[in-house]
Amino acid sequence: MNNPATGTEFQPFSPDSPISNEQLASLVNSEQGKISPLIYQDEAIYQLELERLFGRSWLFLAHETQIPDTGDFFSTYMGEDPILVVRQADGSVAAFLNQCRHRGMKLCRADSGNAKAFTCSYHGWSYDIGGNLAQVPFEERAYGKVDPAEWSPTKVPRIEHYKGLIFGCFDKQVPDLETYLGDMKWYIDLFLDRAEGGTEVVGGMHKWVIPCNWKFAAEQFASDMYHAPVSHASPLIASMPPDMDLSQVGWPEEGRQFSAPEGHGTGFFFDTPEFLFPMLGEEAANYYVNTSAGEAIERLGDMRGRRMNGAHMTIFPTLSFLPGINTLRVWHPRGPNEVEVWAWTLVDKKAPDSVKDAYRKAVLRTFSSGGMLEQDDGENWTQIQKGLRGHQARNTTFNVQMGLGNDTHDFPDLPGKTNYVYGEMAARGLYNRWLEMMTAKDWSELTIPTGDEESGHA
Amino acid sequence: MLNHLPSVALAEHPATTPEMQQAIEQYLYCEAQLLDNREFDQWFELLADDLHYYMPTRYNRTKRAAGQEFSSPHEAALFDEDKQSMSTRIRRLHTGMAWAEEPASRTRHMISNVQVHPTANSNEIEVDCCFMLYRSRLERDVDIFVGARRDLLRQADNELGWQIVKRAVALDQTTVLASNLSIFF
Ligand code: FES
Ligand SMILES: [Fe+2]
Repeated sequence: MNNPATGTEFQPFSPDSPISNEQLASLVNSEQGKISPLIYQDEAIYQLELERLFGRSWLFLAHETQIPDTGDFFSTYMGEDPILVVRQADGSVAAFLNQCRHRGMKLCRADSGNAKAFTCSYHGWSYDIGGNLAQVPFEERAYGKVDPAEWSPTKVPRIEHYKGLIFGCFDKQVPDLETYLGDMKWYIDLFLDRAEGGTEVVGGMHKWVIPCNWKFAAEQFASDMYHAPVSHASPLIASMPPDMDLSQVGWPEEGRQFSAPEGHGTGFFFDTPEFLFPMLGEEAANYYVNTSAGEAIERLGDMRGRRMNGAHMTIFPTLSFLPGINTLRVWHPRGPNEVEVWAWTLVDKKAPDSVKDAYRKAVLRTFSSGGMLEQDDGENWTQIQKGLRGHQARNTTFNVQMGLGNDTHDFPDLPGKTNYVYGEMAARGLYNRWLEMMTAKDWSELTIPTGDEESGHA
Repeated sequence: MLNHLPSVALAEHPATTPEMQQAIEQYLYCEAQLLDNREFDQWFELLADDLHYYMPTRYNRTKRAAGQEFSSPHEAALFDEDKQSMSTRIRRLHTGMAWAEEPASRTRHMISNVQVHPTANSNEIEVDCCFMLYRSRLERDVDIFVGARRDLLRQADNELGWQIVKRAVALDQTTVLASNLSIFF
């Protein structure tokens, strides 16, 4: 069985010998745009991802507006680790493992709410909202003393905020969040900073399960505009007036894709606001394209305020947005063969209530488990994943070559490395970063030198 | 578990007649059959112009916050449709490119626990029921959806005598354990 990087026989992993960096490197060749599907399917690789990738990346925890008041908590995951995110009395945010230090019971089993303390339902150890052990039943007679400094839930040591989004990282060494975001910051402001006051979440969220590897979803939102005309033809046709057919609607052709050495990616069209109308309906689209555009242009300039439309984006590894359509989602990994999608709708805080409600409906009708566009994405990923049960299928190299050789740093008004909108540069960037994260000893090998946009190869 | 869904049923009303109970049950079975036979256009004919087709999201809450188990009207919902958006959904199924339904799902709607309640409008009744919706797709994919439904039906001049004005669906899952909701409830 040939592997894409070396063309040589691939050495299968054995349970008692860890995967070597050479083996990992043989699975991803971002220079030639070749990927071994084993990265989507292998259990040992997945376990290593939980440790090296999810354990060392900045991961989205919650939006500020989900937990406005002291004691408000949101129950989430970092990789597969259950995490409680809690607003503190001083306005800061604490995050810690949702795991009792006595025997590991899940401390809190509600999805969200408000708490004064978290009391374990097994033997009653109790923790304050900062995640510090506060009370142990029969402590004096049964233990003498249980030291809270030693026996509190594992804290998420790094927590930082960016324009309404709260991130956490388990690796103390990780560079600060803004450095980690790199040039991607400029692009995500298109979503998070169009209006004074920033964004808020529409209450509630969507959670559903797709039997596919998390990377299919993350990669598509980073890099794949190419699928839209085929995968999403049906909702477009269905929302056209009955006397029109597909031949009368050209899919947009002008746009760019951006790839960050940190693994993030985005792609967008230029000057195609009309596409938002059939997708979102009149009220939400009109707000985005007309009502709010003046302020957006003032804050962000003409390129981001007006010209970039229909953007897809992923913050490496698992946070994705569709600015304009206003969905934000996390792809929580659940083994190599399953992802849990957690999706929210974001709106400008200052938008009129009727626009917020129009967005709420527009997103649930397009991008949710019942959404008319989202359904088809899941179908693709699910069927790919099923095929990878086959030995031949999972050892057949995938083609990630679109736009190879066309990267440029000189596209006017766009920072960083860009390429044509229908391309796979950002996918190659994502997999290259995946490999770097999977093989690096620690963050000293991962930090991108500032001023140097090119990423090295592991 | 329907007490969270808005109700227009009269608080006190005489017991439904066996004839009415029978007629409404037959209506629900026929309607379900249209969906299971993929006769979506005929099913669409049963929807009132002022349709509201709704499925809230659902959450794990502590007893103290039990009132927030279901999303409120201005929060994320799984479906929040009017007649026009239902028409788009059905047109989409006819394109032959709605990939999550191409090839189509095999569905079976099982309707039970039917309770008929008069409302203040003599031509409208509220009907509660439970459902189990089995969906089998492609070679071996299976989803089972279980929940409760509250419909508002209005007497109408159509083949089945009633149209659906409101349908609120309480799905008995928080995390939806299916890769999509490409079917109708
Ligand atoms: S496991 Fe929590 S108190 Fe024992
Ligand atoms: Fe898509």
